[in-house]
Amino acid sequence: MIAKTKYIPDGKKALKELPIIHYLDAEYVYYPVTSARCPEGETCVRGGQFVKVGEVVGTRKGAFFEQPMHATVSGEVVGYEKHIDNSGKVVDCLIVKNDKKYELHASIVERSDEEITNLSKEDYIQIIKDAGLVGLGGSAFPTYIKLDTKDPIDVVIANGVECEPNLIADYSVMMNYPREIIKGLIYAMNASGAKRGVIAIKKKYKEIEERLKFVLQEFTEYNITVETVGNYYPQGWELAMIKNALGIKIPQGQLLSKYGVLNFNVSTLQSIYNAVKKRLPVLERLFTISGDGIHNKSFRARIGTLVTDLIELAGGYKDEEQPKVMVLGGPMMGTNILRDDVVMTHTTTSLIVMNEKLEKEEPCVHCASCVYSCPVEIQPVQIMNAYKTRDKDALKMLEVNKCIECGLCSYVCPSKIHLTEYMRNGKRFAGK
Amino acid sequence: MQTVKQTSPYIRKDVSTKRMMIDVLIALIPVVAFSIYRFGFDAILRIVVSLVVMIGLEALIFGLTHKPGKAEKWLERVKSRFADYTINNVTAPAVSAIIFAMLVPSKLPIYAVVVGAAFGIVIAKMLFGGLGSNIFNVAAAGRIFIALAVTSMFDGTYVGVDLVAGATALTTFRSGLGFPGVLNSYSLTELFFGYIPGAMGEINSAAILIGAVYLLFRKSADYRVMLSTALTFTVLMFFAGLKLYPDMALEFVLFQLFSGGLMFGLVFMVTDPVTSPVTRPGRWLYGLLVAVVVVLIRLFGAYPEGVAFAILFANMFVPLIDYPKWATNKIKPAFVVSFIVLLAVFSLVVFFGVGGTV
Repeated sequence: MIAKTKYIPDGKKALKELPIIHYLDAEYVYYPVTSARCPEGETCVRGGQFVKVGEVVGTRKGAFFEQPMHATVSGEVVGYEKHIDNSGKVVDCLIVKNDKKYELHASIVERSDEEITNLSKEDYIQIIKDAGLVGLGGSAFPTYIKLDTKDPIDVVIANGVECEPNLIADYSVMMNYPREIIKGLIYAMNASGAKRGVIAIKKKYKEIEERLKFVLQEFTEYNITVETVGNYYPQGWELAMIKNALGIKIPQGQLLSKYGVLNFNVSTLQSIYNAVKKRLPVLERLFTISGDGIHNKSFRARIGTLVTDLIELAGGYKDEEQPKVMVLGGPMMGTNILRDDVVMTHTTTSLIVMNEKLEKEEPCVHCASCVYSCPVEIQPVQIMNAYKTRDKDALKMLEVNKCIECGLCSYVCPSKIHLTEYMRNGKRFAGK
Repeated sequence: MQTVKQTSPYIRKDVSTKRMMIDVLIALIPVVAFSIYRFGFDAILRIVVSLVVMIGLEALIFGLTHKPGKAEKWLERVKSRFADYTINNVTAPAVSAIIFAMLVPSKLPIYAVVVGAAFGIVIAKMLFGGLGSNIFNVAAAGRIFIALAVTSMFDGTYVGVDLVAGATALTTFRSGLGFPGVLNSYSLTELFFGYIPGAMGEINSAAILIGAVYLLFRKSADYRVMLSTALTFTVLMFFAGLKLYPDMALEFVLFQLFSGGLMFGLVFMVTDPVTSPVTRPGRWLYGLLVAVVVVLIRLFGAYPEGVAFAILFANMFVPLIDYPKWATNKIKPAFVVSFIVLLAVFSLVVFFGVGGTV
């Protein structure tokens, strides 16, 4: 109520207990030619051509970078089709008919430890660029750009906080592949020249803390520690996480590297490990189907798998007659989609299907819950009023651009006002 | 299957404005119960009248100010005006009505109750745009209106008046008996448990405090305004007491705290979120402002009592406090310093104002 809200029931407990189904039977897989960050793209394979796992099938082009696309199955290229990607947009997708043999491409050979120790910073950056690695926490920002910084880096921090409700992808990676994360962290430290590594996790994940600390005993020659941060939302926001795990306060809008910090999601670190050690691109991700409008299941599936297949396998929707809200990602910041033929990409880890609940918007009573809860300390209610009167000066004075759209203001509002939407509109309006 | 378009976030916390209003109503139960126990049917009648007037007029004006839909039948057109009418259009005026009823003496003519309630709901609330848009506290506005407009109707309306003394504890204090003489008529225990003349809900501090505990426990009221008002009031009154009655400064502070409408205003009126600023420092400042005005009125003003005045006065400063240029939710060191400086300045004003010398 009239107090700061930091805790959101996360509903992860039941999801963690779901068995993970390794799904390798997709008949066809799809590779979007463009993505939200890369408005252009082209493929370099012909129809009928046979591709193998790890083979480059095309390139996506962003504003200042290019990103290779890799095949994640072996099989025949059969054509193109339109599907939606994880930003909810309809995109052209390359179709590969899966022969289910999963033959590896000739370029996929393991590097020996000796080769890895001799890698220079430039080598690392090239490897990561060639593997097309992106921030797997959800940003999909190219990883090599982060590494390619001139600033001296003191500490590499692995973000394993995953504060959004319903998401368990990072959790399961930390639980099942702690060694790969730590090795990935070591590679990132070597590449950036950082002396210190930190893995930030939630306080309540005692089991993860124990596991990581146990595995860390094998790597005593590196200065890597596990730091726990509070079970709050939005603790996974990098600035909040860095402040609590490292004690470094970085103002919004500043580059982390200016403060000697480099931040990677734990899943990204695992992908760095796979790219450096095994020369593999990201092949699979954990995909969780949750929410009260659908049968809940967890899958480990190849990038390019169509979510429709997974939904069918999970048992389909519940209460089909009720209208549903479908969300890719978490319930606080995820993307709304209107159809389910979504192609799994690097950052697709969760589908939430909820039965629609109608919340009537009431007048604001100035309780200030939104102001108290805002993690960036701006005043949502005042921004709403300023936006309603289209007062650009007031919007700027109220620093609407600081908003990270975490959704807490809408979440806490007792009058059910959709403040986050006002924040988005306010930002857009102030920027005009 | 039908899918719905929404934007993030897709989940909401299980809280509602309705719950907040009902919490205030629940917190008011001890106060209302005591007033009924003490004043019997007089209390019930005034509460009911106030409820009927406020809820009724809110509904009426709500209907008048909303456009009707197109419909054949007259009744359906009327109904369409109330499409947006929700439970909050009942609970919110109910809260205002009960608070207003608690502010009046038990023998106040019904006519005055009706006029005050109507002024509060119509002029102070609905004309400003209804729930959430009023800038003045509804109950305080109604109470002040009748205090000014029909002053003579208040004569002899307080029950249980000590004939030697005067109407209420505060008027006794003002009208000659002074302090600590007033304690002979009304002891501190009597003040605390409400066996004194006064407005129906204001007298029993114990019942009010029970309500306060509930409100704070449910987080339906902000402790900052309460604390800030109480703190400022106590400090200022302590300085006044230090000069006026050096031996009994503590008793003086307690007397001032438990007499008049301070406790009630502090728990149920200052905390009204609609008419409060929306930031932490703003709320501290708002509380300070209310307390300072109450102290100034009580010590130097023409009226024995001024909580409702103080709240209306502070309400006027809310837009200024919330002005985007300086409103911030961070409690910065500069703010803490200026709060303390303000407190010190007003303490000195009060100390020298009541005749203190260096």
